[in-house]
Amino acid sequence: MSPKSIALVDNPMDDMCPICKSTRYLNKGIKFLINPECYHRMCSTCVDRIFTAGPASCPVPLCGKTLRKRGFKPAFFADLGIEREVDIRKRVGQVFNRRQEEFETLLDYNDYLQDTEDLIFDLVNGMAKEKLQAEEKLKAYRAMNLQEIEDNKRAGLEEADYERRKETAEKEAARQRRLKLIREQEEGKMDVEKSRRDMLERLANTDEDPTAITRQAQKVILKKSSARRNLTDSSSDPNGGLPLDSSLSIRGLKKKVAPIAEEAYDPFGGINLTPTRYVLNDEYENEWLNGIKTDTRILAGGYSLPEYYARTMFEAFSGLGVFINDEVGPKAKPEVRIKKEVEIDDDVF
Amino acid sequence: MCNSRLETETLDAGGHCVLEMPSGTGKTVSLLSLIIAYQQYYPEHRKLIYCSRTMSEIEKALAELKALMRYREDQLGRTEEFRGLGLTSRKNLCLHPSVKREKSGAVVDARCRSLTAGFVKEKKERGEDVPVCIYHDNLDLLEPHNLIPNGVWTLDGIMRYGEEHKQCPYFTSRRMMSFCNVIIYSYHYLLDPKIAERVSKELSKDCIVVFDEAHNIDNVCIESLSTDITEDSLRKATRGAQNLENRISEMKDTDADKLKNEYAKLVEGLRGADEAREEDAFMSNPALPDDLLKEAVPGNIRRAEHFVAFLKRFVEYLKTRMKVRQVISETPPSFLAHLKEHTYIEKKPLRFCAERLTSLVRTLELTSIEDYQPLQEVATFATLVATYEKGFLLILEPYESDAAEVPNPVLHFTCLDAAIAIKPVFDRFSSVIITSGTISPLEMYPKMLGFTTVVQESYSMSLGRRSFLPIIVTRGSDQVPVSSGFQVRNEPSVVRNYGNLLTEFSKLTPDGMVVFFPSYLYMESIISMWQGMGILDEVWKYKLILVETPDAQETSLALETYRTACCNGRGAVLLCVARGKVSEGIDFDHQYGRTVLCIGVPFQYTESRILKARLEFLRETYRIRENDFLSFDAMRHAAQCLGRVLRGKDDYGIMVLADKRFLKKRTQLPKWINQAILDSEINLSTDMAVGSAKKFLRNMAQPFKQSDQEGVSTWSLKDLEKFKESQDEENIRALREAQMQGSEVQNGNGERGDEYDVEAEAEMMQLDH
Ligand code: SF4
Ligand SMILES: [Zn+2]
Ligand SMILES: [Zn+2]
Repeated sequence: MSPKSIALVDNPMDDMCPICKSTRYLNKGIKFLINPECYHRMCSTCVDRIFTAGPASCPVPLCGKTLRKRGFKPAFFADLGIEREVDIRKRVGQVFNRRQEEFETLLDYNDYLQDTEDLIFDLVNGMAKEKLQAEEKLKAYRAMNLQEIEDNKRAGLEEADYERRKETAEKEAARQRRLKLIREQEEGKMDVEKSRRDMLERLANTDEDPTAITRQAQKVILKKSSARRNLTDSSSDPNGGLPLDSSLSIRGLKKKVAPIAEEAYDPFGGINLTPTRYVLNDEYENEWLNGIKTDTRILAGGYSLPEYYARTMFEAFSGLGVFINDEVGPKAKPEVRIKKEVEIDDDVF
Repeated sequence: MCNSRLETETLDAGGHCVLEMPSGTGKTVSLLSLIIAYQQYYPEHRKLIYCSRTMSEIEKALAELKALMRYREDQLGRTEEFRGLGLTSRKNLCLHPSVKREKSGAVVDARCRSLTAGFVKEKKERGEDVPVCIYHDNLDLLEPHNLIPNGVWTLDGIMRYGEEHKQCPYFTSRRMMSFCNVIIYSYHYLLDPKIAERVSKELSKDCIVVFDEAHNIDNVCIESLSTDITEDSLRKATRGAQNLENRISEMKDTDADKLKNEYAKLVEGLRGADEAREEDAFMSNPALPDDLLKEAVPGNIRRAEHFVAFLKRFVEYLKTRMKVRQVISETPPSFLAHLKEHTYIEKKPLRFCAERLTSLVRTLELTSIEDYQPLQEVATFATLVATYEKGFLLILEPYESDAAEVPNPVLHFTCLDAAIAIKPVFDRFSSVIITSGTISPLEMYPKMLGFTTVVQESYSMSLGRRSFLPIIVTRGSDQVPVSSGFQVRNEPSVVRNYGNLLTEFSKLTPDGMVVFFPSYLYMESIISMWQGMGILDEVWKYKLILVETPDAQETSLALETYRTACCNGRGAVLLCVARGKVSEGIDFDHQYGRTVLCIGVPFQYTESRILKARLEFLRETYRIRENDFLSFDAMRHAAQCLGRVLRGKDDYGIMVLADKRFLKKRTQLPKWINQAILDSEINLSTDMAVGSAKKFLRNMAQPFKQSDQEGVSTWSLKDLEKFKESQDEENIRALREAQMQGSEVQNGNGERGDEYDVEAEAEMMQLDH
């Protein structure tokens, strides 16, 4: 099968099944299917007839490839050559799916793209030998870069998903804005209506000067409508609308960094409280404590000896090694400076 | 006269402005003289780019410029260093004996290119026998900056000069553009990014740009970026791609070096490949961001055969899309997503499509460019769709009309945002002046086109006498209101009242009379109804009846007959459409138009999907409400129609607006028309209108001497000085007052200008179809 001969089947009026010769004229609902094994076109009736029983060879003369019913699908393109090319692209694209970010320079990326394209060309148009080579290359590359291929695939999916979400969000926002506008207009209309009614009532019920009433009412209506207009204008955002959902716009991100796991809350803000100048033992030999150790009357209330040890030790050592001058010194200076600045400021004015 | 101060402000401060000046009152010449004076006064001699719409307007402007320069010469007593040129298409300027006989402009362009392209010259130098154009090659023998002597050259003049000296007028103009003081050409050379890139890129930043007759400028902008793709054009595109492929394999055998060279250049970037991006560039490209041009071409379309396969895939994809039998409208991002899913075409190579194709065509040295036009269109589309996310929409309409059975799919790629095309102009040039006779309301234009103005001014007209009579007719003699609103337009009473109006005015109008309808459809239906009512027979007694048709040839024949009938005293009525050819470019001065009758408000056809999309875009992006825009658009067309009859200070005419809805839309008319409408003449019935028209015509019949105009609409030097003095005093007084009662002034402002908003809602209920 040469791809050239397929490319010439580009006649939309060619509505005849090459196998059973039925046409759209006779069978209005005729559907054509192809099998990506050989890309020979036939109608769905033929497919049912020939392949329902199980795999069979393609009925097109000189083809004879073994086909299964499962493999048949409607063609997306009228030009089956393109259909085939796209299928191949799909296969290659699943493997060669590097992204521009992964390359040092644009030139590298472009070279990579060209190599991929060459490979696809070999697969599509190449002689048997070239095809074989290309297949080999594809396989080898897949084996070598399994992990990265997976990563990029995921990244691609995420990106597509993001785009989709962005669009739906935009559409929704536009719809909301439209609704709001309609509501406002409705309200405005009702307002005007109401003012009119009021005016009529006043005209009917009071004996003021009718022209004055009408003029006044007209003014009120105008004022209201212009006020409303200003309102809508000011509520519109200045950058020309279409506020993007900010949680969605992460376009500039280069590499996705996994969020750092949150640590437990530390009330002392990182101050290390383990004693440095002494070691806290579990036991201290002390006569008047010995009794307590075993006295259930005391222990039952929750009295804990280790806590007592810790507190006493802490009290004994606290304050050691703290030099007040060191602590105060650096603090004192900035205070002076700030004061000076203030003075300077005063001078200026 | 008083506008000069405002404009100089624009020029000095460097900013844009919108001006409305009554048509036919020397708008062009006053603008020109002011700018020329400014230009010659300052040493840097900023260049003036004057853009007009049609060839005849360009010719007119050139003639006025010529007269102006002669006048300056007389006054100054010396000739200034000055060169003014006009530029139009090759079709109008070509001198080549066989090329100029071609009918279509595209063919002339293509044939000329095949005679003048760079590689043709190379071949010739190598001694090959190739056809060339002697007019073009002669130019190379001249000094490149002095192809034509100083002076103002009208199109005719430059043609004659070209014939005498055997040099091509088209290329003379184009090459001299950077060496002249004034260029007058069509909008497209600046706005259409495909052309602008080549023609106008050398113009320096401080040029003063004027768009004349610019009331439709937003539509021009939009059209220049929109494309329609049909099945037929796709078929041709496929054929073009096939041809390219054949040529490539041919060239691989014979001249592989060329392809390799191209390839090497593309690795560097498009600009590198583009040293020859000059006048002989084969095809044109849509606006590309500069950074894109500097970037290297993506690797997967670098090689010629890869690129052709890429194009084929894209075209096939479009073909598949066209098979869908329901209306689809989608945004570029969603189109791209679908495209990627089915063809593995990424956005990036798509953006380079048009440039890449140009480069390929040049490398292959193709000469029969017409064959590749459809392919080029597809490539342009590809580039645009991948470049702009916002402001464009794809609309696929499988059937021509709702009733059609046979599918004839069209993929409209429509630009919704007029600002995109004109943005480069505003960015690049520091002073842009947009002007027209009818460009109200002024604030709409900066909003739509996305720029800020330093000056926005609408000038009223100063006339020696009331030389035009605008009236609004809202009901017939039987007091039934008339309107072309959708519900009532076909009611016999309305049609009959319109008919009576026509009959009455054709009785009283001397010579020519023009009638405008909102659409062809309505015109046809109303004419057939009039036929049945015997109205046309009645009109026929007084005037010849002529009708505009969508066919240009027929219309021009009708126009010719009309003119003859107006001149020989028979008199004629021309029935035409407010959005047709007649309403835009054709003047009905003096006897050619004494009455213009505008039947109905010329609303656009609102069911069009493209219009709907645009309305939505305007609302979303620029906060212009649908009704405001539609009403604005209708009124600018109405004003345009009205302006047709008054083309000078000694001209006179009646302007009749016949629709009750005009009553409320009056404020949207240009100031000079609106001011001239007397309050007693805004709500007339047919018989009252006839009465005041008769009175007006009787006044006009009185002799009117030139000297009557002196001091009112034309000023002598003394008048001018006096005016200046009083103006100064006025200014001082105003300033003083303003200081004293600053607060009060502020209060007063809030109530202006919202008169028509209230009614807009109600009006739209009766929109036309
Ligand atoms: S160079 Fe000038 S004269 Fe020659 S073909 Fe082209 S347009 Fe015509
Ligand atoms: Zn079959
Ligand atoms: Zn087969």
